[in-house]
Amino acid sequence: MNIVVKDPRLLMGRLVRDRILSEVASYVNKAGRIGKLVSISIGEVPEIMIYVRNQAAAARAAGLGFDQQLWSADIPQEACKAAIQAMNDDPEVLGVILQRPVPAHINVRSLQSAIHPLKDVEGMNPASIGNIVYNDVAMAPCTAAAAVELIRETGLTLEGLEVVMVGHSEIVGKPAANMLMAAGATVTVCHHMTRSVAMHSRRADVVLVAVGKPHLIGADMIKPGAVVIDIGINQMTGADGAVTIVGDVDTDAVSQVAGWITPVPGGVGPVTVAILMRNAVNAHRRQTDAGWIG
Amino acid sequence: MAATIIDGKGFAGTIREQVAGHVARLKEDHGLTPGLAVVLVGEDPASQVYVRSKGKQTVECGMASFEHKLEADTSEADLLALIARLNADPAVHGILVQLPLPGHLDEDLVINAIDPAKDVDGFHISNVGLLATGQKSMVPCTPLGCLMLLRAHHGRLSGMNAVVIGRSNIVGKPMAQLLLGDSCTVTIAHSRTRDIQELCRRADIVVAAVGRAEMVTGDWIKPGATVIDVGINRIDAPEKGTGEDGRVKTRLVGDCEYDSCAAVAGAITPVPGGVGPMTIACLLANTVTACCRANGLAEPEGLTA
Repeated sequence: MNIVVKDPRLLMGRLVRDRILSEVASYVNKAGRIGKLVSISIGEVPEIMIYVRNQAAAARAAGLGFDQQLWSADIPQEACKAAIQAMNDDPEVLGVILQRPVPAHINVRSLQSAIHPLKDVEGMNPASIGNIVYNDVAMAPCTAAAAVELIRETGLTLEGLEVVMVGHSEIVGKPAANMLMAAGATVTVCHHMTRSVAMHSRRADVVLVAVGKPHLIGADMIKPGAVVIDIGINQMTGADGAVTIVGDVDTDAVSQVAGWITPVPGGVGPVTVAILMRNAVNAHRRQTDAGWIG
Repeated sequence: MAATIIDGKGFAGTIREQVAGHVARLKEDHGLTPGLAVVLVGEDPASQVYVRSKGKQTVECGMASFEHKLEADTSEADLLALIARLNADPAVHGILVQLPLPGHLDEDLVINAIDPAKDVDGFHISNVGLLATGQKSMVPCTPLGCLMLLRAHHGRLSGMNAVVIGRSNIVGKPMAQLLLGDSCTVTIAHSRTRDIQELCRRADIVVAAVGRAEMVTGDWIKPGATVIDVGINRIDAPEKGTGEDGRVKTRLVGDCEYDSCAAVAGAITPVPGGVGPMTIACLLANTVTACCRANGLAEPEGLTA
């Protein structure tokens, strides 16, 4: 029999995910009647189907209703907008998830703006992002919030920590930077034009990476004992043709230096979908406070 | 070698000339007059000075200025009704509500009632989010002015290490977004930052916006770095003697100790005469940009981020 000793340096997403989902479930139980999440997919895209399945499973675990809508690939923009606006007015709809990508004729930003901020469980409406910049982080983009949650899992106090965020995408890097700054961290944002990422990352207490480049971050770029949060998801095909999923961090090498590291897969990913459910709970609280629902 | 002095006062004049040129062109080619509405509630003396100065410069650039002065006890409903009228008025392209508002008025509510397309201060929550996601927005005037000064001095900012000191909503945070937009590597330092001096010493660009007189000294600055001083602080100046009222005279200083920073920096903005004059110039620039967008015309180049 093999005895599996879990490496304490690994920040396992599954545990955090389960804890958040059980918190959500207990809220949902107490709330009694609570609306449903609506997932909108426009046109059939195989990779979206996997996301939606995961979200549906998490919603089921949390006791939340989950309505999977598949709209036809040639639906006009105006029809999408009208349907979303109807959901804004529908008290049975707790939150709206707009799956991406969408067909080329759809203006995704315009549709994201159409989702009311109180139902914007993905945190994609510019007004939702504005709230995050202004330190109101209750409904933040899920991947960014999952990364922050995993940093908290180490038990470190965020205030005063030196954090380097590698990657400045709108849906991960920038919101994560804003959330960490709101928590009192000193944040440096690096990206593809940064002259020397290592110069910044080697000084950091926490390094987050979300650029989509396999093994970009090596052991020589990390301060001993630092926290490393790997948000990248890359497919690699080995010499034998086998496909594996790796992050942006050379996990084996970096784990010899880091104090904590998130594995890929199994780190940030599982937490992301749990955050979506927690956002749904926060949406319920806000809609209740606003007098939308009784 | 002494630092180059970045002449914000002079550069603001250039921006105003550009704005005036675009205003003349809009009138001639399209029969449009960009209009800026400024709303002042109450009689705060400093706010009155700002509003007067904004109105004067608006008119000097050939734009229409609409000043709305309301009593200090104006109700929220009346103020919101005025904003709704200005939102609907096609002659008004920019709306500015002078802050601070009297205590009984909810500033967030009032600012977020402005049509984001007319929010020339760039404080509406949607504009904040649009800027944070790299989309077209109205950009807050003071950080926009700093960006223009940096671009004028350096040309391209790409790859430079920038440290923004201060994480305020009106300067520090939008400044960081703008510098990221120009591909700087950006660090935001603030009151919780552990070793702020050391952080600054690694920066090619330091933007100080904390409101603490002469906090940044020359030993914080990397030789040759560019220092943008957003602070405006009034301090006692006993060396100037006492005034007729028997009080010690005062002077304006920035967040950076000018002499020691200028001895090390490659370039520095003075206080006064650096960032300050750029703010109203950028307000005028934003109004022209808003007018062009509202009418489906190409935006003038170089007047926004």
